[in-house]
This record gives sequence, structure tokens and C-alpha cells, in this order.
Amino acid sequence: MKLTLPRGVSARSFDQAINAFTRIVGAQWVLNTDEDRTTYLDAYAPGNAETYAPSAAIAPQSVEEIQALLKVANEYKIPLWPFSRGKNLGYGASAPCMAGTVMLDLSRMKKIIDVDEKLAYCLVEPGVGFFDLYEHLQKNNIKLWMSIPANAWGSVIGNAMDRGLSYTPYGEHSKRVCGMEVVLPNGDVVRTGLGAMGNNVSWQLSQNAFGPSWDQMFMQSNFGIVTKMGLHLMPEPEATLSLSASLPNSDDIEWIIDTLAPLRLRGVIQHDANVGNGIRAATLRSLRDEWYKGKGPMPQAVIDEMHKKLGVGAWNFSVRFYGNEEVNDANAKILRREIAKHSAVEFRETRWQRGQPLARDSGAAVPSVNALQVVNWRGGRGGHIGFSPISPATGAHAIKQYRVARKRYEEHGFDYFGSFTIRERHLNHVTLCVYDRDDAEMTKNARSLMEVLVKDSAADGYGEYRAHVNYMDHIADTYDFNHHALWRLNETLKDAVDPNGILAPGKSGIWPKAMRGKRA
Amino acid sequence: MKTVAGVALLLLCSSTFAADGGQEAFTARCLKCHGDSGTGTVMLARRLGKEKSLIESRTDLAPEFIRHVVRNGIVSMPAITRVEVTDDELKAITQYLTRPRP
Repeated sequence: MKLTLPRGVSARSFDQAINAFTRIVGAQWVLNTDEDRTTYLDAYAPGNAETYAPSAAIAPQSVEEIQALLKVANEYKIPLWPFSRGKNLGYGASAPCMAGTVMLDLSRMKKIIDVDEKLAYCLVEPGVGFFDLYEHLQKNNIKLWMSIPANAWGSVIGNAMDRGLSYTPYGEHSKRVCGMEVVLPNGDVVRTGLGAMGNNVSWQLSQNAFGPSWDQMFMQSNFGIVTKMGLHLMPEPEATLSLSASLPNSDDIEWIIDTLAPLRLRGVIQHDANVGNGIRAATLRSLRDEWYKGKGPMPQAVIDEMHKKLGVGAWNFSVRFYGNEEVNDANAKILRREIAKHSAVEFRETRWQRGQPLARDSGAAVPSVNALQVVNWRGGRGGHIGFSPISPATGAHAIKQYRVARKRYEEHGFDYFGSFTIRERHLNHVTLCVYDRDDAEMTKNARSLMEVLVKDSAADGYGEYRAHVNYMDHIADTYDFNHHALWRLNETLKDAVDPNGILAPGKSGIWPKAMRGKRA
Repeated sequence: MKTVAGVALLLLCSSTFAADGGQEAFTARCLKCHGDSGTGTVMLARRLGKEKSLIESRTDLAPEFIRHVVRNGIVSMPAITRVEVTDDELKAITQYLTRPRP
């Protein structure tokens, strides 16, 4: 893929900057061939991935190298897009918001600096993947459990920074972050929270201390480059008890949310339980062609037959209990009693006890990349894009969201793929549009669908929690209280910490002053 | 893409011996997806049939085809950068996958 220069940067300046970058990290770690640029494109782009084509990539290995690179970037006004491992699949992977941006690939920074078993935390660098940390815990017989997303190929830090989720007691990953080290666009290095005190001994132990709290300010933003992050891990429980069940009817989503959500709020359920639809289950186990060869959405009769053959329901859920076995049994009894008020559903039960091998169905955190099967669903060169609004944790909101989203998915020729993750007070309605990138009409429809979903959700008062680079401006526009006061605040901060606008222009709709005309 | 795959099937395997560390590099970099029940293996089984799903057992993969797939991606597999799998590692992996077999 040919070179696209950063906006406003001459070929001569760009070459000078590349030479300066090379002197800092070495020629091996400046990647600027046509093929290199291709490797940093969004592999699942809904359309032409080259819309977001990077100009080059640089892979530093230390904070000092990052500081030196920032100095050069400021001098030549080169935009840098930092990322941890580039596996933000479904949201643009590592791709930047603006063609010509230089990728700042942090995947060589992969030190596991500290794991404290007694106080249950780790301190890691951005290149540390879920597999790396898992293998470290296993190898050293450390009895701590991680919270791992469905696709575990990515970075522990990167996932938390993008507010990734899982279905464990620590499933809202950004809430478990405790202390960061961040290189600001001017090269200054700050540590957040108690780490701001040079000799503090509790950096990874308390999220809140003196003064403003900045950990959350660096998430999904472009104010700094996170080079270290503390993250709380879960002490291994004595035992787990997992109950799974399938529900036959689409409308069951209303009562199941109204049953599970209060149990989550009261602490009977200790984790972010998930209720997913039958097509979601089918994408992991089959190809669409096996059930239906038509172009439009699968007809209900076909879906019903597919559910029957796969042994899944219109909705499928798992609830896991973690801790002392007697307490798990008592909580499971409460769950069974509450479910029985609505349905005679049969539960599949899995038990695990400390000392047994870890297995995913026991609720243990075991990394896997099997969730990527979903991109295979439509055949061709598969791709997917996520849209996941947040709503109140009530059945009425769940069924409303389900009906609106399914209607929109089907209007655009797609099968509705959805799940609801239940937090204490809110739902995260994760929907995935799966398409064949070889089908231009289908990818065009995927883009149209995303635009409609953003508008529908905003009209109903639901905010999206995470965006593909293509929709960051659209979603930022829906956060519109007081004529986009929050957007103005974000951009005021951007201008203050990054006056040259070199860091991740456009991330979450936050553009530097000189590029604000680029807003979608 | 089908054309590339077809050409690859016609090419002869490399006769070079597996480079030192090729199997280790394959295990570290590829096996999470291309192990026995990995997502890549499952995808390949669904698309090409079980007999072609486990790339470690295949004898029809040409070195240039492997290199092209890794650096450009194929079907649902994303491209892999030279940071994630270096050129030296890719060379060793390629030599391992195209090693002579009895």
C-alpha cells in the first residue's frame, strides 16, 4: 500500500522525521514499506480499509524512547497513534482515525513488572497480552484469576483502556485499573493516583487519593501514552458453580433481565452475567450457509430450526457463583427459585473446586481466541463491527432495545447478533454486525446500519460505550448536553496537553484545534 | 484469494530443513489460533475440510504463500506485523512448516 503523508506534512519533513525516529529505535523498528502499512490496516474494515491508512509504524521499547520520539513528532508535527497490541477487532483494530498517521506500536513493551498474590494486583506494560499474563500466573503458581475478554489475543492494558468487558466478577475492566504511568505529549512522565508520590507504597492498592483523579481521563482519550498500568486481579475462589440455561422465546429477554438484574444489584450474583441470543451461539459453532443461503436476514422459521438442531434457545445465559461451596449452593438456590417463577427451564450445572484444572465453563479465566469464529459467519473475507449502547438494567429497556436493534439489523439485511451484559445498575447491549468484506453492498449496508443505530440509540436516550474509528465523531456528537459541553471540555484539555495535536487526532471525536474541521 | 490458494497448492514444498527455533516460534506465535482446537483450525475445517485444517500437518504450503498470508492476512485472519512476528521468526516458522517429511 502506497504512502499517504500525514496531513500538512511535506515529503521532505516526513523523511527527516523517519530518519530521526530510526536513530532513536533502530531501523528494524521503523516499519514503512508498502507491506508494513498493510499490516496495520483494520483487517475487518466495513469498506475501504485504506481510508485509515497509516504512513509508517514505530515500535519503541522504553519510556525514554517514547519521550525521544515525541520530541521528534512535535518538531515535525507528525501525528502518532499509540496502541498496545492492535487487537481491538471490531472497533478498527490498530487503525487510526486519520490517514497518514504514524502508528506507535507498543507491543514490544511487554514486561510484567509486578504481581502481588497477597494483595491481588499486577503492574504491566502495554505489550503484555492476556495469554502472557495467564502463562505467568500459571508458571509461577500464582493463585490469582484474570478477567479475560472473549477475544484474548489483545493487550491487558489496551483492553482496559478501551473499557473492554468480560463476564467475570471483575468484568468491567476499566474499573479495576489502579494507577498508571503516562507519557504526556510533551514528553513529561506522570504517575497517577498514589504513584504521584515518589516513594509511595500503595500505588496499586487505592484508586482514590489526593486531588483530581486522572486514571479515567486517559481511557478512550488522546491525552497521553500509558506505559504502565496497575490492575486488580481476583483471588482464586475456593470453588465455582456455574448454571447455564436456554430460553425458547425472543420475548423472554424481558423477564430474564428483570430476574437477573436485581440479583446482580443485591450481590447474589457477583459477576457481570450475560444473556446472548441464539444466532450469537450459532456463529461460534457453524457457518450461516449451513442454515440459509439467502441474501437477506434469516427467516424466523430457519432460525427456529437452527436453534433446535444446535440445542440453543432464543436467549442463552450462564450465571456463576464464586467462593465457598456452601455459599455458592445457597445463592444458586435463590437463582433457581427466582427463575422458577417464570419458567421450568432446565439448568446445566458445572462445578469446579480449587486444585482441579482450570476450564472456561467453570468460570475460571482461561484465555482463548475462539470468539473470532464469528467473523466466519457470512463467508468470504469476514469482518465484524460492534455497536453496544448502555441502558438501565430493566427488562422493559432490554426488550425495547432488542426489538429496535433487531428490526434495524434485518432492514439492512443482517442477522441480529446480540447479548446483554448485566452490571449492577445498567445493561451493556453488545450487538455485532458480521459481514463479508468481499461483498461491497453488504459492507455498505453495514455502514448504514451503524449510522442508524447511533441515531436510534441517541433518540431513545442510550449512549454507546465504545466506537469503531469510523463512528467516533458520530457518537461524540450524541453526547450533546449543553451544546456538547463535554466535547468542548475534552478539546480544551487536548489543546492544553497537546498543543501541536500530535497524539491520536480524532480519538473519541477529540480533534486538535488545527484539525477540528475534520469532524464528521 | 482462491487463485492464490490454488497456486499455493501447486507449488512444491521447500526442501530446506527446519531452522533452529522454527517449531518453538510456531508454538509461541501461531499455535493459539492454529493448534488442535484453535479458532484458525476450526475456521479452516469449515472452509477447506478437516484434512486441511491443521496447518502444522500440511505438506502443501509453499514458503512464499505462508509469508504472503502472514503479512497480508487471508479470509478472516488479520495480517501480522513485523513487530509481532519478526522477519527472522517468520523465516524459521516457514522453514518449519515446509520441512521435509517422511
